[in-house]
Amino acid sequence: MRRAILIGLAFGAGAVHLAVVGVLLMLHQRMIIVDTLTLGQAVLLLIAGGAGAMAGRPLTGLIAGATAAVPIAVLTAVMSVVPLQSIFIALSPDLFGMLTLGQGLAAGIGILIGGGAIAGMLGAGWRISPFVVRRAIGPGAIAVLIAGVFQELIQLMLQQYEGPVGEFRDFLYTWEGLSPQGGITIFIIVAIASEVLGSILRRRAARIAAHDHRRERMVWAGFALLALVLLPAVAGSYVGQVLMLVGLYILMGMGLNLEVGLAGLLDLGFVAFFAVGAYTTALLTADSSHALAHLSYWEAMPIAVALSIMVGVLFGLPVLGVRGDYLAVATMGLGEIVRVIVQSDFAAPLLGGAQGILQIPKPRLGNFVLGNPVSLFYLTLVASAVAAFVAWRLENSRLGRAWMALRDDEDVAQALGINLVRSKLLAYGLGAAFAGLAGSIFATMLTSVYPSSFQLLISINVLALIIVGGMGSLPGVVLGSIALIGLPELLREFGEYRYLFYGAVLIVMMRLRPEGLWPSDVRQRELHAADETLALDAGADAVPAQTR
Amino acid sequence: MARFNAVDVVLWGLRIGVVAVVVVGTIGTLLHNRYTAAQWFDFVVFGLTIGSIYAQIALGYTMVYGVLRLINFAHGDIVMTGAFAGYFVATPLDRSGFLNSHPVLGMSAILAVAIVTSTSIAVLTERIAYRPFRRVVGLAPLICAIGVSFFLEQTFRGMFGSAVKSYPSPDWQRATFQLLGFNVPRVDVLVIGLALVFMAGLYLIVQRTRMGTAMRAVAEDGEAAALMGIDVNKVVVFTFVLGGTMAGIAGVFYAFVYKQVYFFMGFTPGIKAFGAAVLGGIGNIPGAMLGGFFLGMVESVGPTLFLDGIGIPAPYQLRDLIAFTLLIMVLIFRPQGLLGERMARKRA
Amino acid sequence: MYRRLSGPMILAAAALLSIAYTASAATVGPVTDDLGVIRIAKGAPIQIGAYWVLSGADTALGLDEKRGVEIAFKDVGGKVLGHPLKLNAEDDGCNAEGGQTAATKLAANPQTAIVLGPACSSAATPGAPILWQQGVVDICTACTAPALTAATRKPEYAGFARTVFSDSEQGKADATYVHNVLKAQSVVTVHDGSPYAQQLQQVMADNFKQLGGKVLSQEAIAPTDVDMHPLLTRIASEKPDLIYFPVFTAAAAQILRQAKETPGLEHTKLMGGGSLLSADFIEAAGPSVVGFIIGYPDLSPEAMGKNYPKFVEDYKKDYGEAPISGYHANAYDGAMLAIKAIEKVGKTDKDGNLYIGRKALRDAVFDIKFEGISGPIACDPYGECSQFKPSVLEFTSADPKTFGIGKNPKKIWP
Repeated sequence: MRRAILIGLAFGAGAVHLAVVGVLLMLHQRMIIVDTLTLGQAVLLLIAGGAGAMAGRPLTGLIAGATAAVPIAVLTAVMSVVPLQSIFIALSPDLFGMLTLGQGLAAGIGILIGGGAIAGMLGAGWRISPFVVRRAIGPGAIAVLIAGVFQELIQLMLQQYEGPVGEFRDFLYTWEGLSPQGGITIFIIVAIASEVLGSILRRRAARIAAHDHRRERMVWAGFALLALVLLPAVAGSYVGQVLMLVGLYILMGMGLNLEVGLAGLLDLGFVAFFAVGAYTTALLTADSSHALAHLSYWEAMPIAVALSIMVGVLFGLPVLGVRGDYLAVATMGLGEIVRVIVQSDFAAPLLGGAQGILQIPKPRLGNFVLGNPVSLFYLTLVASAVAAFVAWRLENSRLGRAWMALRDDEDVAQALGINLVRSKLLAYGLGAAFAGLAGSIFATMLTSVYPSSFQLLISINVLALIIVGGMGSLPGVVLGSIALIGLPELLREFGEYRYLFYGAVLIVMMRLRPEGLWPSDVRQRELHAADETLALDAGADAVPAQTR
Repeated sequence: MARFNAVDVVLWGLRIGVVAVVVVGTIGTLLHNRYTAAQWFDFVVFGLTIGSIYAQIALGYTMVYGVLRLINFAHGDIVMTGAFAGYFVATPLDRSGFLNSHPVLGMSAILAVAIVTSTSIAVLTERIAYRPFRRVVGLAPLICAIGVSFFLEQTFRGMFGSAVKSYPSPDWQRATFQLLGFNVPRVDVLVIGLALVFMAGLYLIVQRTRMGTAMRAVAEDGEAAALMGIDVNKVVVFTFVLGGTMAGIAGVFYAFVYKQVYFFMGFTPGIKAFGAAVLGGIGNIPGAMLGGFFLGMVESVGPTLFLDGIGIPAPYQLRDLIAFTLLIMVLIFRPQGLLGERMARKRA
Repeated sequence: MYRRLSGPMILAAAALLSIAYTASAATVGPVTDDLGVIRIAKGAPIQIGAYWVLSGADTALGLDEKRGVEIAFKDVGGKVLGHPLKLNAEDDGCNAEGGQTAATKLAANPQTAIVLGPACSSAATPGAPILWQQGVVDICTACTAPALTAATRKPEYAGFARTVFSDSEQGKADATYVHNVLKAQSVVTVHDGSPYAQQLQQVMADNFKQLGGKVLSQEAIAPTDVDMHPLLTRIASEKPDLIYFPVFTAAAAQILRQAKETPGLEHTKLMGGGSLLSADFIEAAGPSVVGFIIGYPDLSPEAMGKNYPKFVEDYKKDYGEAPISGYHANAYDGAMLAIKAIEKVGKTDKDGNLYIGRKALRDAVFDIKFEGISGPIACDPYGECSQFKPSVLEFTSADPKTFGIGKNPKKIWP
C-alpha cells in the first residue's frame, strides 16, 4: 500500500516535470487519432498506467494510478489560483485547458484522478494478464502510435499512389491525421499479424540450435538493412535526407569506434577532423573567391581524406602521453580550438570566417549530377560500406589486436613489444580519415560550409551514439545512429525538446544497459565479468576476472 | 627509437611556439603602449573577479573528482540553477527597492535561495544518476554525466524560456572604490572578497571537521576508508553538498557581475573551471583556487597582452582559444597541475 | 557487415529513381507548363509551405512572421479560388542544416504550391535552390543578405524573391545617418560571427569610408560572450565617435551594459541593428537601454502602407499581444504576393479541380505589383520586391512591458 503510493508519487512527479517544462502541452498538439486522442493525453495515461503496472495488483494499481494523478491535479489547482505563468512560462491557460479537458477546475481534477485510477488499474491488469494477451496488444498499440504520430511522413510517402493503395490511405487518414476507424483497423491488423508471424518465428527458433541463433539474428538484420537501404528510393527525398544524415553519422561513428572502442583513446575533439574534411572539399571545389582550386568532387575527396589523416596524426602527437579522462578533456580542447579558429576573423582570408564558403558544386558522374538527397544517400551508403569493410578487417588484424591490448593496459602492451606511438597515431589517423570522408560528403550535401556547423555537440553526438549502440560493434554503430540521430530528425518539430529526450535517453540507457543496444560479444563479457566477480565475493573458487 | 624523437620534436615545437607567441605579443603590446595604467588595472581587477568565480566552480569539480573519479559534466549547469533561483528572488527585491535599502539582508536572501536550489539539485543528481555508477569502470558514467547536463539545461529552458534574463543592478554595486589611485567597481571587490571568505570556510571544513577528514580519506583510497568504517555514501553526499553550495554562490556572483542569466550559461564556464581545477592539481583544494584565479587572469589579460601585440585582428574572438590552449598545455606537460597531485595514481 | 547487396543493383535503382525527382515539363488538365503542374483536387487544400526559426532564442522572429502570414490568410477568407489554404510551417533553427532539412521536406511534398520564409539568410542559402529544383518558388520574408538578390546570383536562385529589404541598403543608410546626421568622424564596428552581422557591418564600414569617415577597427566576438570589458577597453583606447554593433540580443545587451561602465566610452555613441527590435532585448539590457539607437526600416504608419494600423489591430486581437518582432508586415506582404500569384495563374476545370503551372506561378510572382502594408511591392528581375525606407529608432524606457514599435523604441529620424 505504502509502496503503491510512493510509486504513484514518483511517476506523478515525472508528469509534473513534463508539464512544467512545456513538453506536455507540445505533445498535446500532436494528434494520434484525430479529435479523439492526443499524444499528450496518451502520455499521461501511460504514466498512470506505468505506475499501476509497477504496483502489480489491480487494487494497488488503482491506488498507484490515482496517486500518480495527484501531483498534477495539485498543479492544476494551484495554477488556477496563483499566476505562476510569469515565472514558469509553460503553465499557460492552454495547459490548464488540456489538463481539465476544458471542463473547469473541479470536474477536471475529478477526471484526472478518476482517469489515473482507471489507467493504473488497467496497467496492473496488463501486467498480470497472460503473456499471450500482452504479446498481442503491444505491437498493435505501438503500430497505432506510429501511424498516428508520423502521419505526415506516412502520408507524404503514400502521396504518390493512386488506385487501391490510395483508397486504403484515404480510409485510414484524413487531411488532419489518423481517423478513428483507421486506428482500430491498424490495431486489429497488426495485432493479428504479429501473433501469426510471432508463432511462426517461435516455432522456427525452437528448431534451431543455440549458436545458430546468432546467425539467424544476422540474417534478419541483413533483411532489415536491405529494407532501410531501399526505403529512400521508395519513400522520397525527405526520408533520403534523414537517412543520409544517419549515414554520415554512421561513418563518423565507425571512425570514432576505432579510436574509442578498439584503442581506448577517448577523443572528444572528433568534430575537428569532420571540419577539416568539409573545409578542404570546400576550398578545392567551390565556385567562390576563397577557393584555392577548382577540382571536381572526386579529385577533392581523396585529398580531403588525406589531409584529415595528417591532422589526425598531428592532433595525436602532442597528446600521446595523456591518459583517460584527461585525454577526453584535452581532445575536447583541441576540437574547440579548431572551431574558434575556423570562425575567426583571423583565419577569415583563408577560411571565409563567418560567411563560410558557398557554392560548392555537387558531384558529377559523367552527365549525371548527384543532385538530390536520394542519390547522395547512396553515395554515403557506398562510402559507409567501404568504411565498414575496412573497419571490420582492421578489427581482426594484428593492428586491431594491438589496439585492444592498448585499451586494456598500456604498460603491459608496451612490455609485450607493441609500439605505442605507432599504434596510437594509426588509430587517430584512421579515425580521422572516416570523419574527413563524412565531412567531405557533408560539404557537398549542403553546398556550403558555415563554421557554426562544427560544434562540440557533434563530437558528443558521435560518442553517445557508439556507446548507446554498443561500443566496438559495427551493428551497434548503425543502431545507435538510427536511434540518436534519425529519430530526433524525424521529430524535429519537437524543436529543442529533443535534447531533453536525448539527455534522458542517455541517462536511462547507461543505467539499464550500459553495454549498449547491440554490444560486441567481447564487451558484454567484460562488463558482466566485473559483475560476476562482485557476486562471487571471496569464494575459494572465485574466477580471476579482468578488473577493467 | 627514431619515432620517439619525432614526438619530442613536436612537443618541443609546441612549447617554443606558445612561448614565442606570449613573449612577442607581450613585447609588441607594451611597445604600442595604447593602454593606460588605469586600463591595465581594470583588466587585472576583472581577471581576479572572474577568476574567483572560476575558483569556486573549480572547487566543486575537484572535490567530486577526488572522491568519485568522475568529471561531473553537469557541474556548470548546477551553477546555472543557482543563478536562476537567485534571479527570481533578486528581481522582486530590486523592484520593491528592498535590495537598495537593505543590501546585506537582500544579498543573504538571494544567496540562501540559490544555495538551497543548487545543493538540492546536486544531491538529487548524485542520487539518481551517479550513485549506481559507483563501482563501474568505463565510459558509462561520463556519458551519463553528459546526459544529466543536457537534461538540466533543457529543463530550465523549458521552464523559464530561452530568452536572456537580466539581473538587477542595484546602486550600491555600481559605485566605485578608490584603490591605489584607480577606480575599482564595488561589485568586483565584493565578489572577490566574499569568494575568498567562502573558500577559506570550505578549506577549514575540509581540513578541520570530521566529515572533511573522511572526505579526504575517501579521496585517497575509497576501499580502505570503507574498511575503516567510513560511510562512503554519506561522504559522497557531503561532497556534493559542498560542491553544490559553492556552485550556487558562484552562480549568483556570476550573474551579478555579468547581469544576465540564461539556460546555457553554465556550460562553457564549467569546462573552463574544470581546466582550472586540473591546472591547480585535481583533488587539491588550494590548487583549484589558484588555478581559478590564474585562468581568470589569463582570460582577461591574455587577448590584449599576447594577441594584440602580434597584430591579430579581432583578438577577442580568440579568447576561448587562450583558455583551451592553457588547458591543453597543462594536460600535456604537467598533468599533476601546479601544486602537484595529492591523490594516488590517476586513472590511466 | 553481412550485407548481401550488389553494387550495380543499388546504383541502377538510385539512377532510375533519382531522375524522377526533378521538375520537368508536363501537361496536366488545361495547363501546360515547362516546370510541371500541380493538380489540386476539388475540395482539397492549397498547401503553402513555410520555414522559419520557430525555436530557440530567436523564436520571436519566426513566430511573428508566421502570425503575419496567418492574418493574411484570414484576410482573404482562408480560401483562394474555392480551395482552403493550408500552411505547412517547418522550423529551420536559423542555420544552414535546418534550412536544408526544412526545404527538403517541403520540396518532397509534390503538393507544395509555394513556400514562404525563411527568417535567416543562412537557411535560405541552401534552402532556396533545393526548392527551385522542384520548381517551387520561395518568397523570403526576413532574409536580408545582399547576395540573395544580387545581379550576380546563380541560376538556382531564379525562383527566389523577397518582400524584405537587402542589407546593402540598410548598411548604406546606417552609414549615411552616422556620417551626415550624427556627424561622427570615426567608427568601430563589432560583429558576432554570424553571416548577417558580419555582412551588415562590412557594408556599413565600406559606405562610411566612401563618405569620408574613418573605420578605426572591425572587431568580433562570439554570440555567447558575456565578458565585454577587455574588448570595450581596447575600443576605448581607440577613442571612436560611435560603436556600431548589429549583433543579436544577448551579446548586444552585454555590450550596452558594460559600455556604460567602461572608462573612456562615456561619450561614445552606440548603435545597433535590426535584430534588437523586441521586448526580450529591453529585458536583457535593463536600464542602459534608454537612449540606445538602432537602424531599421521605417515602420511608422506614415511610411508603411495605409492598411498597416488595421493589421496591427487584427494582430493584437488574434494573439493577445502587439507584434513581437519587426518582420510581420513583410511576411503579410509575402503571403499576399503568393496568394495573388496563385489567383492569377490558377485554372479550374469543369470538375472543380485546380491546376497551377509552376513556371507561370514564378513569372506571376515577379510580375505582380501592389500596395502592401510594408510599402509598395514590385519585384525587380533578381527578386528584390520591396522598397527600402530607412529610419533610426531610439529606445525610451527600460520596462519591457512598454515595448511597442513606434513607442518604445520611437522613430527619431527622418
